[in-house]
Amino acid sequence: MSDVALISGGANGIGRAVALKLAASGISVIIADREEAAGEEVRRAILAAGGKAEMVQVDVTKAGEIEAVVGGVFQRHGRIDILANIAGGSFYRKGIEEMSWKEWKEVLDVNLKGSFLFCREVAPVMQRQRRGRIINISSNYGVAGSALRVAYSAAKAGVIAFSKSLALELAPYGILVNVVAPGPTDTPRVMKNWTPEARKEREKEIPLGRTGRPDDIAEAFYFLCSPESSWITGQTLHVNGGIVMP
Amino acid sequence: MRLREKVAIVTGAAQGIGRAIALGMGREGAKVVVADLQGARAQAVVNELKPSSGEALAVEVDVSRESSVKSLVEQVLRRFGRVDILINDAGIYLRSLVAEMKEEDWDRVIDTNLGGNFLCSRAVVPLMRAQKSGRIISISSRIAHHGAISGAHYAASKAGIIGFVKALARELGPDHITVNAICPGVVDTAQPRAHQSETVLKEKLKENPLGHALTAEDLVGPILFLASDAASYITGQALNVNCGSSMH
Repeated sequence: MSDVALISGGANGIGRAVALKLAASGISVIIADREEAAGEEVRRAILAAGGKAEMVQVDVTKAGEIEAVVGGVFQRHGRIDILANIAGGSFYRKGIEEMSWKEWKEVLDVNLKGSFLFCREVAPVMQRQRRGRIINISSNYGVAGSALRVAYSAAKAGVIAFSKSLALELAPYGILVNVVAPGPTDTPRVMKNWTPEARKEREKEIPLGRTGRPDDIAEAFYFLCSPESSWITGQTLHVNGGIVMP
Repeated sequence: MRLREKVAIVTGAAQGIGRAIALGMGREGAKVVVADLQGARAQAVVNELKPSSGEALAVEVDVSRESSVKSLVEQVLRRFGRVDILINDAGIYLRSLVAEMKEEDWDRVIDTNLGGNFLCSRAVVPLMRAQKSGRIISISSRIAHHGAISGAHYAASKAGIIGFVKALARELGPDHITVNAICPGVVDTAQPRAHQSETVLKEKLKENPLGHALTAEDLVGPILFLASDAASYITGQALNVNCGSSMH
């Protein structure tokens, strides 16, 4: 594929794995992330492996920055075939009575509004092309909920409903919109909160008996970018070892 | 080739979706067992497979009969010695309003569509457990979520498959065996032609957000994905392949 993929949150964890996977299959990857140094590292790794990659710094909660990023990518490449909205995070683990309005807004903005803003900018490009794939990241918490993560769960459920609606809007243009919902995944940011004992306990609840790997999730993103999934839209693919079966 | 040397049983593989899956698996290097009630037609699919995969086997089977399923797995073991993938596709679609539905029709649909899943899965589980690997993929339907007039037994059987898949996924997870379902929208095969005119069907096929008439071939990619190593962390899920016609 000589496609162009824009990946928000592509500098770390799952986003990094998705960037590496897509680049390895010949897709030109643009890593859009707040963390410049980490994004640069991914870019260099892709280039070293013979792939094509760029890094752009962006705060996904800032409409102006996203507009500039998408405009720049279009100017340089003349197309955007794939948009993967992966930037996100749960940030806080606390009861509702302790959660401030500012914290609630932060979680909703990064996890839900960020996807909206990127989709709003990229959709017209894909509509003109009459093709495109948008894949938004949700979470098992988006369907099952989680105590002490009300904002994150609400945002991730929002991503699923947002994506279904956008799939209906963009279907007449041949643009597919889907969601990947990972379960607990072995990324430094998630795993720093888990002691080895807690992780072992947690893994007892997972039918496949292990924590997910970023590569497991990257394979699902790749599938949803590939011709094999041409007739799947508005769907959520749960990659979670069976911990949630909605 | 993603399925090189894997042994795959595809039930209902003599025609339609099952045939497309069997041919697709052959292209990916699998040794394919074409299992179907219609033995002669199963053999015809094996003849189509041979140029690409080299090794394929036709077996006549009634998935709703315990002894027949047992014999299927015995024949597969004699020929190939293992089973890596089971695709539960065999199914029937009888049409009747509930008020007029005969008990024997209810039993036939449930026994074939859902009971067949149970019997075939049960027969391969000990082998997969011993191997500590395996893939079971069952063909459900959009109708499992949506229902269908004159198809209450079919809808119940296909929804039952989803419940069955989730439970079996929990049972088999510790042995690294994944169990998933695919829920296709209406597909352009011989089956829906038995109950409606060509004109009505053609219209119905395109009544979806993407405006595309699904073919059996369109389901092969998602099945191959779930059968491959790429999907080793996906289990207990029902993947909708329906051009956006429902989004459960």
